[in-house]
Amino acid sequence: MRGYGIFYYIAEALRGLRANSLVNLLAVGTISMAMLIVGFFLILFFNIRATVNTLSDKLIVSAYLKEGLTPHEKDFLQSRLRTEPGVKKADFVSKDEALARFKKELQGQESLIQNLGENPLPDSFELVIDRRYAESGRLEALVKKISSAPGVEDVSYGRKGAEVVATLYRLLTYGGTALALLLGISVVFIISNSVRLALYSRGQEIELMQWIGATRGFIQGPFLIEGAILSMTGSALAVGVLAAIFYSLPPDIVLFLSRSNSLDFLPPQVVAYMIGGGGMLGLAGGLISVNKFME
Amino acid sequence: MLHAPLLLVPRFFAMIQLYRVTKYYEGVPALLEVSFTVEKGEFVFVTGPSGAGKTTLLKIIFCAEHADEGQIVLQGINTFRLKPSSIPYLRRNMGFVFQDYKLLPNKTVFENIAIALKVVGAPYGDIERRAVQVLKKVGMRDKRHLTPPKLSGGEQQRVAVARALVNEPQVLLADEPTGNLDPKSAQEVFRLFRDVNMKGTTVLVATHDRETVRKMRRRIISMEGGRIVDDGSGLHDAQLTFLAADDAEEQTGGSGGEA
Repeated sequence: MRGYGIFYYIAEALRGLRANSLVNLLAVGTISMAMLIVGFFLILFFNIRATVNTLSDKLIVSAYLKEGLTPHEKDFLQSRLRTEPGVKKADFVSKDEALARFKKELQGQESLIQNLGENPLPDSFELVIDRRYAESGRLEALVKKISSAPGVEDVSYGRKGAEVVATLYRLLTYGGTALALLLGISVVFIISNSVRLALYSRGQEIELMQWIGATRGFIQGPFLIEGAILSMTGSALAVGVLAAIFYSLPPDIVLFLSRSNSLDFLPPQVVAYMIGGGGMLGLAGGLISVNKFME
Repeated sequence: MLHAPLLLVPRFFAMIQLYRVTKYYEGVPALLEVSFTVEKGEFVFVTGPSGAGKTTLLKIIFCAEHADEGQIVLQGINTFRLKPSSIPYLRRNMGFVFQDYKLLPNKTVFENIAIALKVVGAPYGDIERRAVQVLKKVGMRDKRHLTPPKLSGGEQQRVAVARALVNEPQVLLADEPTGNLDPKSAQEVFRLFRDVNMKGTTVLVATHDRETVRKMRRRIISMEGGRIVDDGSGLHDAQLTFLAADDAEEQTGGSGGEA
């Protein structure tokens, strides 16, 4: 079959979109609302994922030592800890070093510890744990073993924080997926509605085209592209609004929200997927209506 | 023009062949064992009272309806073996003229012709030339920028004929093409049909127009109650009787339009 190619269909689609501009404008608005919510969750998702990754990268266990250990005892303990499976490094952190670090972390608020007098922090070993080893519950066993070693007062590791973030991440993944699915379905419905209106307003023309030998594809093409254009426009608008909001946030808020990590906007590929995926949803919505109409 | 598989049709196939075609609408027979053959280049009238099955017959030939029984062979192609996706290509080889013209009211005459060319994928550069050419043939070239509501019924039907002819189909089908026209306009439309028939197009017209049927002296297939009651080139007794009866019916105001 000889055809006109994509440009004919796009031109026809644009003509159709102009004919029902108010309905289509409303559809674009509604779709961009839905996409705005999806985009917001995507931003949360990617940033929390980044946090989870950095947290589990730095899998460090601190073993705090009892007061008054001799250097010999410390050496012995260090060499013992080093031989534990899963421990990659065991660095000694003296109480002075620990205080210096603490002061650095409190930057600007040193006055809090100015009246501390004696340094309350203990000596410690900082153990870097192999991430692969730490998986599947072996971390807990290792921590238990270390805490029962002679000379070790207490053991702390970032389990709590990591777990909270990981839970949040999981929740966000499932919740976000469910939400995106729901919003995706609603986008399909919005589009199928707009396309159906377009089909009805041109019913006479469609019937005639069937009589004079138009293939189904020739009739459908413009309507499908109409759907795709509508939802891609909606998605692009949503990304634009999201970016505008994101970049106009005061940096303090961004820092507060993100603590150590910087808060990032959606990566370009994700933006492309959002707009492309929006197009696919539009196409699906168009297909539903066109197929129903042609029956 | 590219007519998919139809290009390969050998010459010796008849244009339209029906064999014992039967069609029911909700149990009521609209066509009963209808059989006939139309050869290439023929001009055939299908006549009969309302409800005789003329429209159903044309729709079946045009693949707009499926027959319940029997065989329909169009230029050697059995329509029962046709996939739905092939029907558009078959239709490109058949022009169809409707009683109500079916022109798009908010497009100009030219655009109404152009759409038929676009549908078959005619090159953009050819559309203007071919549309104007066919409009000239039906005497509507000068009114090509008007929209159908600004035209008379006869003019609208001429545009519709132009649209049916623009892709140079092998067959022209017309269902009561003059049903809404005054006698003068009707005459013009039939003159157009005769002209295209002279140039080799097969024409099949369903009509009530006794006057023209009488004058033109072509083959007449007479139908009644879904059956062919007569099929011949001259005017036989049976047909004359039918025509007389129909005349009488009209005088008493009993003649209705085809459903």
